[in-house]
Parts: sequence; structure tokens; C-alpha cells
Amino acid sequence: MNQTIKKKLHLLLLNLFFSCICLLSLVPILYVLLLSISSGGGALLTGSFGSLTLENYRKIIVEEPFLKWLLNSVILSVGTMLLAMGTSVSASYAFSRFHFRGKNKAMHLLLLLNAFPQILSMFAIFRLFRLMNLLDSHMGLIFIYAGSMCIFGIWNLKGYFDSIPIEIEEAAKIDGSGNLQLILKIIMPLARPAIIVTGVMILIFVWNEYLFATTFMLREESYTLSGGLYQLQANDYSRSWPLFSAAAILVSVPILIIFFCIQKHMVSGLTAGGVKG
Amino acid sequence: MENTKKKWLPWIYCLPAFVLIGAIVLFPILYTGYISFTNMNLYHWQDYTFIGMDNYIRALGKVNSGFLSALATTLLWTIVNMILDVGIAYILAVGLNTEGLRARRIYKTLLVFPWAMPAYVSILVWRVGMFNTEFGLLNKIVTALGFDKVDFLSRNVPAFLSCMVLNLWMSLPYMVVMIDGGLSSIDKSMYESAVLDGASSWQKSFYITIPSLKKIMAPIVIMTTFTMFKQFDILYLLTMQKGAVSGSTLQTIITYAHQNAFVSNNYGLSSAVSMVIFVIIILFSLWTNTAAVPERKGK
Repeated sequence: MNQTIKKKLHLLLLNLFFSCICLLSLVPILYVLLLSISSGGGALLTGSFGSLTLENYRKIIVEEPFLKWLLNSVILSVGTMLLAMGTSVSASYAFSRFHFRGKNKAMHLLLLLNAFPQILSMFAIFRLFRLMNLLDSHMGLIFIYAGSMCIFGIWNLKGYFDSIPIEIEEAAKIDGSGNLQLILKIIMPLARPAIIVTGVMILIFVWNEYLFATTFMLREESYTLSGGLYQLQANDYSRSWPLFSAAAILVSVPILIIFFCIQKHMVSGLTAGGVKG
Repeated sequence: MENTKKKWLPWIYCLPAFVLIGAIVLFPILYTGYISFTNMNLYHWQDYTFIGMDNYIRALGKVNSGFLSALATTLLWTIVNMILDVGIAYILAVGLNTEGLRARRIYKTLLVFPWAMPAYVSILVWRVGMFNTEFGLLNKIVTALGFDKVDFLSRNVPAFLSCMVLNLWMSLPYMVVMIDGGLSSIDKSMYESAVLDGASSWQKSFYITIPSLKKIMAPIVIMTTFTMFKQFDILYLLTMQKGAVSGSTLQTIITYAHQNAFVSNNYGLSSAVSMVIFVIIILFSLWTNTAAVPERKGK
């Protein structure tokens, strides 16, 4: 009897603890949500929120080049995803299935390159791109993003491919499938969690990137959502803070939706079969 | 014929990726190395000259160049954040896995929100919504409790702690999810036999949970350490963004290099600092290679 009461109390405390933690971690997000639907910037000074309104959302969509930015974001993130996934799927297949000289060295070199913060070579890339006339173009940014995410893709996918038994492929090979067919028809479906998670991670990365997006894009209308939002607050955030909140919510919502859609694949997709999620 | 084709096949598969990485990642690093030996800056954009090791001597040799203190800050930042991140995430994940906790799924979903939010949005939201002296929620609480307003970001120590809290808020969900996944892959029968042997819950943690997690978590922890080391956005956006400079002089080596390149336009010096950072990263990864091979498991 005593034992069960103790256990119940323990669970109650634990529930209380986690409720508090969840609430605390959501406070900043809820606060922004509240601000975004409050009227006017004056609310900030008085501390009251005024009446509830969607005016901020209307303003951000109509008065700022929001839709243009949205289109840029979509082009860039989808373009990057296709390029990065295309290159890293074939490379990681080779790393996982073939034995060749220098394989391990190459994998470690990639890891090392990935550890180098790309901000530090931003200036070098800038000079290079100016020379090659790639500044202010979607193509240039897609190359940068795909190049930096490709390594992550190779590592992440290779780990998952490794966990797929090679016997399955051999059976298909006997049936006369070529390597390319093999990847498309057998490996990709079997590695679905890893493919989805890697692709979405790349998508999210591009969607959220602001530093390269504002440095390499020189005109306001070629900014991405995050670049535009970044610029918006850098210029006059004190005036347009509720406006910024509304924009922040609008930018985050698509990512939140995608993120929660793939959440069940997240652990197995990111830990390469080492963890059963 | 067949044999040579086989020999080249893997490289053909890798070629597109390697060309891309070579052009976007490798070449700029080499080019940065080249710039580090020149006096390239805003006035010497085309007609720069080679000045040998001068930039390196300036960055490393002078104690007051700011580099060494930035390096110390970065190491402290990485170590403290990693310990707290892994420690707190472990406690939370173990708590979430307590038997009989029915609301587990709800907690997990809610806790993931900070991870799913775009990082720069979170940071800006915290800067104005939390830390700001006028609008910040934290200061509203502080004044409501009858204390004076606190300027969280203007001095170094509070700024460091503020950045740390924000960093943990952003990085904990990922760690919790990963440790949670690791916990679920531990063979449950080990606990059962431990209970039969009369092990306490502490003993279970120390002799079963932590050693089993080690193998699975090693690559994740190493990757996260690099991420913490590289962390730029938080400090930059909270304290030194143009128009929102907060007054603290806190610098990590990454922000230090960035400032030199894009604020004082001293590209040579900035590149030298970047190369030193690269060497540090190489040394660190050589060390982790021997300590715990970051090779993926599951083979």
C-alpha cells in the first residue's frame, strides 16, 4: 500500500516537473504569438497588448515583399535539396557499398571540412563568386548551400545505407538490375526514413539561413524570407516589433509543420540505424 | 577492361559531390589560407602584397590582440555548454522514460518546439522578447518583483550566461530526443536481472544506462561539440549586430574572425585567425578520432 502511494506521488511530481519545463520552454514562443496579434507598437511601451488584431499579418504580407521572399525561399530550398540529395545519395552509396583505396581517409576528410565554420570562408567565397559573376543569383546560393549540406548528407545517408543488408541488392543484381536502378528502386525506398530526414534537414537549413542570404543577395527583392526578416529587424525593429513577430510566426509555421510531420522518422533517420527509434 | 571500370566506378559515383564540395568548401578554405599571408584589406583589394607570417604574429603573438581571450571564451563556452547540455538532457530523457508516465508523448512533442523553430527567429525573439530592458519579459518579471531593471547583455558575464541559457534552450531538445532514442535501444532484460541482484536506481544508471548509451551517443556528442564550438549566431545577434550593439565585449574566435573581416575589413588578419581556428579543429578531431571513433554504428 505504502509502495503504491509513494509511486503515485513520484509520478505526480514528475508530471508537475515536466509540465513546468514544457511551459517554460514555450514561453518565448507564446509571447511572440501574443505580440503578433496585438495592435500597434504602443503596446510595448505601456505593457498592455491592446485589442487583438490580424493587422500585423496583413501588413507584413501586403506592404513588405513577403510573397516575393516566400517564392525565393521555396526556389532556393527546393533547388538546394535536389542538388544536395542527388550528389550525396550517389556518393554515399559508393561509400557504403564499394571498397576502394582512400575511402576511410576521404570520409574523415569530409568530416574535417564539415567542421570548418563556413562563415570563416565567406569572404573567400564572396571574392570567388564576384569573379565568376555568381553574386546576386539563385544559382550561386544554391551551390553554396548544397556544397555545405552535401557532407552532412553523405555521412548521414552512408550510415543508414550500411544498415541495409547487402543480400537484398545481390538478389536484384542477379535479376539484372544496374547500379543506378538499384539505388532508385531498392535502396531509396528501404532508406526512406534517412532520405526524408536528410532532405528535410537540408530544406530547413536553407529556409533558416540568413547570413549568406543577405551577403550574397544584393537587392531586397531577391532576399529569402529569413534574409528579408533579418533585414526587417536590422533596419527598424523598434518601430515594427509586432510586425516582426507576425513575420517570425509566418516564417516558422511551414517549418514547424514539416518538422512535426517527419518527427517519427527523426531518431532513426539521424542516427543511422544505430538507434531503434 | 571490366577491372579498370570497377576501379573507377566508386569515384564516378562520388564525382558530382566531390566537385561541389571541392568548389564550395575546400577551395575557399585554401584560398583563405592564401589570403592569410597577404595584407588584403579594403584599401588593398587588388594590389595586395605578401607579408609572410605577419598576420599570424599579430593574432597570436600579441596578448592584447583579443584572439587569445576569444579562444579562452570559446573553450569555456564549449565545455560548459556541453556538460550542461548532455547532463540536463540525460536527466530529462530518463525522467521521460519513467514507467507509468502516460503524458510522455505530449511532453515530447511540446519540448521539441524550440528545436523546430528557425534559430535566428528564436534568437531575435529572445533578444527583444526576453532580454530587452524595455519590452523583455524577464525584466517585466524582475521589476514586478520589485528589483531594478537588469541589462542582461551589456556586461560580459551576464551576457555569457544569457547566451548560454538561450543556447541550452535551443540545443536541449535535440539532445533529449537522441538520448531518448538511445535509451529505448537498451536491452530491457539487463535491468530486470539487475533488479534481481538488488541494484539501486543509481547503480542501474551507472553500470547499465550510461555505459550502454556511450557507444550510441559518441558520434552525436562529438558532432554537437563541433556545433557548440562553431556557434556564431547567438552571440552575434544578441550582442553585436549592427544597430543593436549591446556593449559587452565578449568574443568567441568565430565572431572575432568575422568582425575582422566584415567590420574592420582586415581580410588578411581575419583569414589568419580562420586558419588558426582550422588547425584547432583538426587537432580536436584527431584527438576525438583516437578517443572515440566517430564512425557510424550499425554495420
